Amino acid sequence: MAIFNIKKREIECKIVYYGPGRCGKTTNLEYIFKAYKKQVEGEMVSVNTEGDRTLFFDFLPIGLGKIKGCEVKIQLYTVPGQVQYSSTRKLVLRGVDGVIFVADSLEVRREKNMISLKDLQQNLKEYGISLFKIPLVIQHNKRDLAEQGFPLMSIEQMERDLNRQLKVPSFPASAFTGQGVGATLKECMKLTLKSLQKEMQIG
Amino acid sequence: MNIVENIKALLKEAGLYHSMGLLSEAMGKYKKAVEMIEDNEQLKSRTNLIDGISKKINLLEKDMHKVEAAADKPEVSAKVQDLIKKLFTVAEDKNQDAVALDGAIALAKFGQHERALLEFKELLAKDSVRVVAAKNIIRCHMANTSVDAAVDQYEQWLSSDLFVPGELNKLRFFLESLMKKEGVEKKLLPAETPAATPEPTIEMPEVEEAEIAVLEIEEDEDHDDEVLDINSIGITLDSGPRKGDIVELDVSFQSGNVISLLITHTDTDLIELFSVGETLHNIQFYSSIAMFGGSGIVDTKTHIESGPRRGDYSIDLKVVGT
Repeated sequence: MAIFNIKKREIECKIVYYGPGRCGKTTNLEYIFKAYKKQVEGEMVSVNTEGDRTLFFDFLPIGLGKIKGCEVKIQLYTVPGQVQYSSTRKLVLRGVDGVIFVADSLEVRREKNMISLKDLQQNLKEYGISLFKIPLVIQHNKRDLAEQGFPLMSIEQMERDLNRQLKVPSFPASAFTGQGVGATLKECMKLTLKSLQKEMQIG
Repeated sequence: MNIVENIKALLKEAGLYHSMGLLSEAMGKYKKAVEMIEDNEQLKSRTNLIDGISKKINLLEKDMHKVEAAADKPEVSAKVQDLIKKLFTVAEDKNQDAVALDGAIALAKFGQHERALLEFKELLAKDSVRVVAAKNIIRCHMANTSVDAAVDQYEQWLSSDLFVPGELNKLRFFLESLMKKEGVEKKLLPAETPAATPEPTIEMPEVEEAEIAVLEIEEDEDHDDEVLDINSIGITLDSGPRKGDIVELDVSFQSGNVISLLITHTDTDLIELFSVGETLHNIQFYSSIAMFGGSGIVDTKTHIESGPRRGDYSIDLKVVGT
């Protein structure tokens, strides 16, 4: 849940990168940390375990400056992708305002993408949030591997697998090269802020 | 694609997946490559190829083992623990103890049980969060150490005076339910409500009979302080047409053992009953904590000359025997 500080005229919201293990969530944040230095408001914190796998979460605070006279701050988180860290994923999702689902384009990871999306739906449901209502963007990551001849799923197939019902904005990307990383985040921030604005008007 | 190219592609994929940490996918590709080599006898240097792949499989197995052996929730640095507290403390309460409790709960949820335990133990000193902190200590022991550690902790509290019996019983129920979930059926000692401690007998020094007379306390005629606050009285009418009826009268004022009653001018039977100096027996005195029988002497009987109760009577009754 976003925090509104009326006195300081400040909004702080939370965007979570979700997806199967090793799909590139941390790489997304690392790229943002390097490429958007002006917006970054502090250090990126990663809590990793064996083999550089995210143990608890990665955290990166960024600032968007003033929008309509209001200071906008965004906290970016990643969840641990490994199946066994389900309870941690749920903890990190608490109070989420927007989600970026990072899907792995490798053919061998097709099933894992779908399992992870289901897991996201379940965890959100436990907080009373619908996957169909939360600001959500899908990123088809690792598209750069096609150039090296690795078997990737087509975007069409990935859309059919993951976005047939959701019909949310999606972006092909390579977190390794940075392609599509900014566009994905920008779209999610736009959706999140719109949703918060709507919430404030209703409230 | 010929067989050699197929095998090369599989090995390239396997290598990439290994480097990306997709270990089971890498293993699948290596094994498929080995199968293809074994199935094609015309391939040159088959044994060398299989040996080379076996070495890669061994390395992969070591990495898989490391990942499997890694602790689910290891203790992290104090800096990261502070960040966990900062980011995952939900309480926005101004009550500092509630915020501190929430911070410790966040640590426990992320498996940082050692520090969480220390913080919960500190919170045992705070009245408002003591029981919740204690429940979380039990939970930490159950998750991090053992059922026995949780039971030991409960037993320590049982023999200390940190908790009142009601709180101890709450903790006992909580621990028993957690143990039940773990499949441990164990009944714990309940907290006993302390029996009323008999007042110690004052040992009097042995004295001579002569001295007893001296020690005898003089009976005080005015035991004002001994009379309870009386709310109302019940008087049985023993004459007139309402003979035998019990009339209840509210006490309008009390000073020591003298109570004031108001009687309306229309209640002639009662007005006659209260003659100054007369002792009334069989009076029921009702206080908020007890009801008792006794006697009273009519001290004064005043006709009210002015005010809203003009014409009524005010009776002062001295409680003498209860």
